[in-house]
Amino acid sequence: MPNIIVCYKWVMDDQDIKVNPSTLELTTAGAKYKISEYDKNALEIGVQLKEAHGGSLQVLSFGGANLKNSLKDILSRGADAAFWLADAAADNADAVATAKVLAAAVKKMDPADLILCGDGSADLYSQQVAQRLAVLLDLPVIDNVESLRYENGAWIASRQLRDCVETVSVAGPAVISVLPGIAKARIPGMKQILAAGKKPQNALSLADLGMTADDVQSATKTLSVKGASQQRKNVVIKETSAEASVAALMAALKADGVL
Amino acid sequence: MDFQLTEEHELIRNMVKEFVEEHIKPIAAEIDANHRFPSESIAPMAELGLFGFTLPEQYGGNESDSLSYVIASEEIAKVSASHVMILGAQCTLTTPILLKWAHPDIVADLVPSMISGEKLGAFALTEPGAGCDAAAQQTTAVRDGDNYIINGSKIFITNAEQSEVFIVFAMTDKSKGVKGISAFVVERSKTEGFRVGPPEHKMGMHGSHTSEVFLKNCVVPAKNLLGQEGEGFKIAMATLDAGRIGVASMAVGIAQGAMDEALAYIKERVQFGKPIASNQGIQWRVADLATKLEAARLMTYRAAAMKDSGQRFTRESAMAKLYATEVAMEVTTQCVQLMGGLGYTKAFSVERLMCEAKITEIFEGTNEIQRIVIAKHVLG
Repeated sequence: MPNIIVCYKWVMDDQDIKVNPSTLELTTAGAKYKISEYDKNALEIGVQLKEAHGGSLQVLSFGGANLKNSLKDILSRGADAAFWLADAAADNADAVATAKVLAAAVKKMDPADLILCGDGSADLYSQQVAQRLAVLLDLPVIDNVESLRYENGAWIASRQLRDCVETVSVAGPAVISVLPGIAKARIPGMKQILAAGKKPQNALSLADLGMTADDVQSATKTLSVKGASQQRKNVVIKETSAEASVAALMAALKADGVL
Repeated sequence: MDFQLTEEHELIRNMVKEFVEEHIKPIAAEIDANHRFPSESIAPMAELGLFGFTLPEQYGGNESDSLSYVIASEEIAKVSASHVMILGAQCTLTTPILLKWAHPDIVADLVPSMISGEKLGAFALTEPGAGCDAAAQQTTAVRDGDNYIINGSKIFITNAEQSEVFIVFAMTDKSKGVKGISAFVVERSKTEGFRVGPPEHKMGMHGSHTSEVFLKNCVVPAKNLLGQEGEGFKIAMATLDAGRIGVASMAVGIAQGAMDEALAYIKERVQFGKPIASNQGIQWRVADLATKLEAARLMTYRAAAMKDSGQRFTRESAMAKLYATEVAMEVTTQCVQLMGGLGYTKAFSVERLMCEAKITEIFEGTNEIQRIVIAKHVLG
């Protein structure tokens, strides 16, 4: 019976992030937080594997001061227990720093047969944490996984690549990052929500992991974050005949170098 | 005084929102247009525990508080009040009555199947000649050995067509007025002479059918009497006290659903070179509507919180029902106006929500009756 750890990130709800149309600066004041959607799919496949094979399912997260607010939500979605580390160092952590903390935390938890990650986080989406975590834990890693099963102690994963699907198997512990389509996250019901508060919530600190804020340095430095913008030309063609309109459109596209 | 919802309440709201988005939004307009009962929604609603609010775990309930129900009802009503009719009939008008007043054998037999959604329930109090005046009941129940023989008819019975378990009120002693009313549980499939008429043609709420019910020499085991003979009126009033919080929450949801749609529209709709929301005349109207809606929501939540804390809440539930339903009517009417010609079409939801709002001012005690209830408490 496998022991599974699912990593998740508590991110700002992108619907609450506003872009200032003139400066393209992001306004995040008052934004609510939610579980990164990709991680919900990772948790769901973890829950399905547990339902099929038994074992345990724990969740792990490294986040900012409000990470505690995620616990009942994540625990209502089928995990047995949560391990969480809230530290201001998470606010600017990139994949290097995050993987370092998660790796140290995994070593404090029960030995895992599988560590699941979402394909990327819904905010930064660097798609690197799973791979870096595997290196730090000296475990094999499989990414881009679209289906996953467990047979005779081995994980059999199908990877969706650019023009083919590759199926691989790995015996023993591994880190696997999954695509969102792997499993549709179910909606937790009333009983799951009301039982969530009774499940174990294990708070960790950097000190518990033998780390300090200096150990959680990001390898990258964010210079600025701006909203994407699309400038419309607002060209209106007002010719009276279709032929003239087409000719005007062709001329405009040629002038722009599109044709 | 703490006006914060708990984390669980927020999660319940999110859960219901997610459910509504996935299962109800895609069919909300269609069931209304086709006057179709959404039977496909019953199983997923039951699976999420939406029929188990406040009910004991031993029967499959989730032992949540009433505020959780209010939040769920509000969220569903934003999109489809017809679905809240199913929720309300099951969670406020029938299952709790069984739990509190039915014989233990009946509780054990029926409550789990009501919570699991296998059986639906209907509340049959109103008669052609006995609406608000319950004492004018013509339906009779006469004791006959180990049975009662029930004769009469009921009108405007929500979801009668799909229901198996009916709470039927009938006179066991006409000389005693309201104290001669008794309540019974009637299982449709086990009762000969029980018939449901065709659905009424209504103004709105077309996804929920409302029908007449006929009882002709229906033999009902004496064990099916709820409480004691003569306790029917007490049972009805206690049930409606709680039911009114449900209606208030439905009204709050309907109003919010209309507001959400109209606000999005007036921010986008450009006339005379600017969005119509930038006109102060529109802004003031929106401010008034939002303020009234907030007050209605707070009154509704407070009535639920009073019920949860075991206090008497008759006055507060009547006030919440009265105010929230009138606000829903005003808000939906104004939202149709804000959206102009489009608001009057079925391309948007506000027209449907306006028709749904109207019934909340009428059922489970008209607002005139709520005023009588409130005045009694105010004047002492």
